[in-house]
Parts: sequence; structure tokens; C-alpha cells
Amino acid sequence: MKKCFLSIAAILIAMSTVFGQKTTIRLKGSDTCLPLSQKEAEQFMKKNSNVSISVTGGGSGVGLAALIEGTTDIAMSSRSMKMSEKTKMRDAGKAYKEVKIAYDALAVVVNPANKINQLTREQLEGIFTGKIKNWKEVGGENMSIVVYSRESSSGTFEFFKEHVLSNKNYTASALMMPATGAIIQSVSQTKGAIGYVGLAYIEKDVKALKVSYDKGKTFTAPSIANAKNKSYPVIRPLFYYFLDKDDGKVKPFLDFVLSTAGQKIVEEIGYVSLN
Amino acid sequence: MNMNLRKLFLSSIALILVAFSARSQNGSNDTIPASIEKINSSIQVLKKLKISGYIQAQFQIADSTGIESFAGGNFTSGVDNRFSIRRGRVKFLYDNELSQYVLQFDVTEKGVGIKDAYVSFTDPWLRWFSITAGCFNRPFGYEIEFSSNQRESPERSRMYQTLFPGERDLGVKLTIQGPKSTKWNMIKLDAALINGTGPAAVDFDKYKDFTGHLSLNKSLLAEKMNFGLGFSYYNGGWGQGTKYNYKMKDVTYADGTVRKMFAVDSTRIKGDKSERKYMGIDAQVSFDFPFGLTFLRGEFISGTQPGTSGSSATPAAQPAEATITTYSTSLNTSTGNYTTTASATTPNSDTYVRKFHGFYIYWSQYILHTKHQFIVKYDVYNPNVDATQSGIGTKTGLPSWTKATGAADIKYSTLGLGWIYHWNANVRITAYYDMVSNENTAVGPTIKNGTVTNSGYQSDRPDNVLTLRVQYKF
Repeated sequence: MKKCFLSIAAILIAMSTVFGQKTTIRLKGSDTCLPLSQKEAEQFMKKNSNVSISVTGGGSGVGLAALIEGTTDIAMSSRSMKMSEKTKMRDAGKAYKEVKIAYDALAVVVNPANKINQLTREQLEGIFTGKIKNWKEVGGENMSIVVYSRESSSGTFEFFKEHVLSNKNYTASALMMPATGAIIQSVSQTKGAIGYVGLAYIEKDVKALKVSYDKGKTFTAPSIANAKNKSYPVIRPLFYYFLDKDDGKVKPFLDFVLSTAGQKIVEEIGYVSLN
Repeated sequence: MNMNLRKLFLSSIALILVAFSARSQNGSNDTIPASIEKINSSIQVLKKLKISGYIQAQFQIADSTGIESFAGGNFTSGVDNRFSIRRGRVKFLYDNELSQYVLQFDVTEKGVGIKDAYVSFTDPWLRWFSITAGCFNRPFGYEIEFSSNQRESPERSRMYQTLFPGERDLGVKLTIQGPKSTKWNMIKLDAALINGTGPAAVDFDKYKDFTGHLSLNKSLLAEKMNFGLGFSYYNGGWGQGTKYNYKMKDVTYADGTVRKMFAVDSTRIKGDKSERKYMGIDAQVSFDFPFGLTFLRGEFISGTQPGTSGSSATPAAQPAEATITTYSTSLNTSTGNYTTTASATTPNSDTYVRKFHGFYIYWSQYILHTKHQFIVKYDVYNPNVDATQSGIGTKTGLPSWTKATGAADIKYSTLGLGWIYHWNANVRITAYYDMVSNENTAVGPTIKNGTVTNSGYQSDRPDNVLTLRVQYKF
């Protein structure tokens, strides 16, 4: 009787270990996607207590490298996968899928004490490439411009360079920040500062500028509404990348992100939904 | 205080003392965060050291025994199949961001060899300029630097194996490339001053060689397409080891026709520099098609190559004054017998300068999102563009002061068909078939002591090779 009881107890313990195990999903990559993914994960885990999701940043390149190395289940990226990364994936015998989860509008931010409220794309190009060095050159105070940028491993860095700077070189004096949060903090503390961040990061400590892509005829504020009606031009898609073999594991979470509830979170956080 | 309480009290004191003692050991007052910080610092140092490597174990079947082959080296006489470790690499890289130390060994059944041994420094101000010193890949063309563990064909093309045996050389290299944050990052210039004798040889003359590669790499269509374009230049040479230097010159034959044949360049003496000049162009395009990733690559090299009568390959040692017995063998077409007509003692290491060209084109295709990849590669190497196919190996009607062309002047083409299975990030399996064709010439078999040591080049030689390879890399 005693033996029987012990055996049953052992089986129950073993079963509880096996069946009680949580599914863990790891997300890594783009800092732009970070706040969105964190919120999506939080809401998803509330409804699915058997799933544990960890979300870490580092930049799109870091996330995609982690996917190739097998140290993340989903790579968050604010740019398309590069050809060199695709080749590495194929060389490693890894088939992958790309899912567009939202759009992000990039906002140019300055210190709230700065009187400038709007800039043309050409002026932004001049500032970020170092041709314009003082705010008075664009109608502001006599004050040196301090340029803040993301690091080169960031998808945001590349998108801004391609779409705002016409692929021109950032000024050598630009201060490269490891995360978007660091740009917000630096701009909020430096009167002459200028930087660029995802729409979701805009807060009261910084001022988002209106921009013009028609040489000053019309200026548009960065907002979800303007991004949706396509009047705000600095917009880009955000992606999740995952391996085919993990499809079953990550699908419930992806379905949630793409669902009405998930896309509502997209807008709550400050991004542009797919709908 | 009862007994139990006293025990509890004493135990607690003991625990506190042990904890205090542990904390104070070696005079250290580290808190847990401080200890973690120390461990993190150690990890950061260790992360600078990167160890990687790969092994390629293979089985090959040749069309016939003892063939000369560029598919991993010649087959031993009497052998038409073999197991071998083609490459057994281990690479140590210490990456200190602006300085790098690299050491790479190759361990196979043939022994242990050094492949890379260099240090590299990047300027800390602009980060545009890097200097590399030691033994490194020669900056010329695309295929040299395309790692063997990534290249789809088991071996590099015949022209590269002939012109740049071992791929590497000793010297110093300047690299100019903008940082990733600049738009100039897509352009790269490599320029090196090297011995010119390859990775495993001590320099045998006073001449140094220059080699450079200017390349452009760009992605388009939202990373759906990538292209690369490069131009290469090599200018060097080596001191001739004998007093004779032969070049292809116009020669009047007995029948009055004028054709090119090897004749002595009387302006040159022993020790003079035999010029080695190449120019090359390379291009690569890749597409991310719905049916799979597609890669197209091509390269063309043309130039002047000093060699010997028996080979157009770059020598690892100076072809020196030496004498051997040579045999001139010809086929008597009426009787069908081979006749060894004469033997003579002549220097075997005179310098023979040839104008050459070669190219390869390459198509590799992944199949949808599967692990399968197929390859087609075609390469041609013509070591002597001045030699006519019908004239190679014949001396009939030539003045006695000329030298006949021979096996080293024959043009080859190779069509390779392959399949790769990318099992996982570490393992890939390759099956590849090299179909080698040589020009049909008048170069007959070589017979020594009544034994045919070389079947000649009067028809296409049976020297195709099937390679089955498994690679593990980490």
C-alpha cells in the first residue's frame, strides 16, 4: 500500500512537472518595437498563463543575428532583413517567415525650450549631415545644434538616413546613442539638441516637429492620424521574423498581435495599426 | 534559555561569523553587485577572443587512376578513389575593436599548416583606414576571399589555383573603407605589398609585388537584390633563376608561315625580374526570388604570367639552374606506336612568360525555403593565349632555337554541377561533379623506362571527379 502510494505520488509529481511547464517565447531586437512588444506580451500572458514571454532590445541587427544563432524565437526588426542576413539564414538551413505587425512614424524631436516648431526635409538633411550647425540658420536662436542619432546597428538609423538624409552621411559630430530612451533623455536635457525617435516614444519632455516634404509648402505633424492618411511621409513597417520550425510555438502570440485586440494595442502605444 | 533555544542562538552566531568571514576573505569587501561587475568584466574580456573552425571530410572518385586534378590535388599513381580531410581549420581571433590578432591553422592528414597569421589596426580617429601585416589573403578578385566554408563549389577555379596557389601571401595591406554609418561604406579599397611567393614560401628574390582590389557592394529593392562589382590589379614578378627567358614571339616556320612560338628574350639575364601583371573584373548579383535565393557570380582575369616550361603556375621556390633528362615522345600514326626519339640534358627551369586569360561564371540556387541548393559553375583557364591548339606540342618546321609549347600551354574548361544540403547551422553535405575538358593537342604520352607516366593530351583525358563532402563548422 505504502509502495503504491509512493509510486502514484512520484507519477503525479512528474506529470505536474511536464504538464505544468510554461511555454517560453523569446523576442529580441529593434528598440522601436520594444514598447509595443512588451505591451502585447503583457496582455497575451494575462490571457495565456501557461506562456511566458521575454522581450529584450538591442537593435534590429542584434535581433536578427540572435535568430540566426538560435538565441531568440522572434526577431523584432524595424527594417527588412538584409541580403547578407538572408544568406546566413539559408546557409544555416533555416527557413523563416516575415510578418508585418505595424507601422511606425519617425518623429524629429527637439528640446521643449527650442522655439523651432517645424523644419523642411532639406533643413533636416542639412542639420543631420552637419551643413547647418546653428539654430539661427533655420530661424531659431543663436545656439549650436547638438545632433543625436541611434547607433548604426539600429534599423531606425538606416531608415532615417535613407528617407530623410537621402542616404547622405551623418555628421561626424553626431552623438550615437545605444537606445531610443537615451535620445529622449539627452534631448530633454540639452537645449540645442535634436534627435529622431519612433512616434511611440514622444513624451512631454521633448517636442516633436512638423516636417515638410514639399520644400516648405505644407508642414505635417507626426501623429497616428497623419500617418494613416499618408500626409506624414516618414513612416515605415515593423516586422517580426521567426523560423518555420517555431511556427506552432509562436503562432498564438502572432495571431494575437495581428488580431483586433492586438492592433488596438498598436495604436494605444503610439504606432500605426495595419488596418 | 532552554537547550533548544541555546542551540539556535549558537547556530545563528556561527552562521553570521561564517558569512562575515567569507565576505572578508582575502581582504575583499565585494558586495554581490561588485562581484557580478567583476564577472561581467571578465566575460567582456573573454568575448574578445573568438574561436571558430570547420572540417571538410570527403570521398572522391576519379575517372581514372593517378590523374592530375584541381579538385583537391592530384591522385596518387594507381589511385582513383580516396578519403581525405580537405580542410581542417581552427581560427583564433582576438578582436579589440580597433586592433585584431588572427591565427588560423589547417590540420589535415598531410600535416599542420598556417593559413592566416596577421595583426590588423584601424585608425581611431576617422576609422576609415586599416593596416594589416603578416600572412593574409591576397586582395585580388572575389574568389580568393570567399571562404571555403561558404563557397558552394568544393574548390576555387583553376585560374585562381594556378595564379594564386594557397591564396595567401606575406606582406602589408592597407584597407580604406568608410564606417558603416557612412554612405561610403559600400566602397572598399584594398592595396597590398607582398612577397609574391605564396603563404608557405620564403621570399627568394628582392622584388616585391603590388596587388589591389577596389570593390563596390550595394543592396537595392528593399534588400531583394544585392550586387557587387570589383576591379583588381596585380603588378609584380620574380627574378629568373637561369639566364634564359622565353617569350611567345613571331617565328617563321620552314613552310614560310609566321606563327608565335617560345623564343629567347635576349634582353634579359639571370636575376632579372620576370613581370607578372594581371587585371581582373568581378561581379556578383543576388536576388531574393519567391522561388528561393539566387546567386550569380562571374570573374575575368587577363595578364602576363611567368612560369616554367612545365607549368604556368606561380612557383613557391625560384626555378633554379638544374639539369634533367627530358624525353621527346611522338606517336607514329602509321604504325600506332609511340617512339621516344631523343633525350637531352637541358635546364628545366628557364623562365617561360605567357599571356593568359581565364574566367568563371557561377549560378547557385536555393530551392524555395527548403534546405536544398543547386550549383552550376563553368570555368576556363587558357594559360597561353598566343599558342594555337594545333601548334601545342609540335615542333615540326620550327627553327632549332625556339622552344615548343607543351602541356603547360593547354587550355582547360571545367563544368561543375553540385547539390548542397544545409542540414543545420553547423553541418552541410555536398555532392559535386567536375567535368574537366582539355584541348586536344599534339602533346603525346610521356614514357619513362618503358612505362607510360602521362597519357598525353591528344584527346580529352579521363579526369572527371565526383566529390562527396560533409562539412562541420562552428
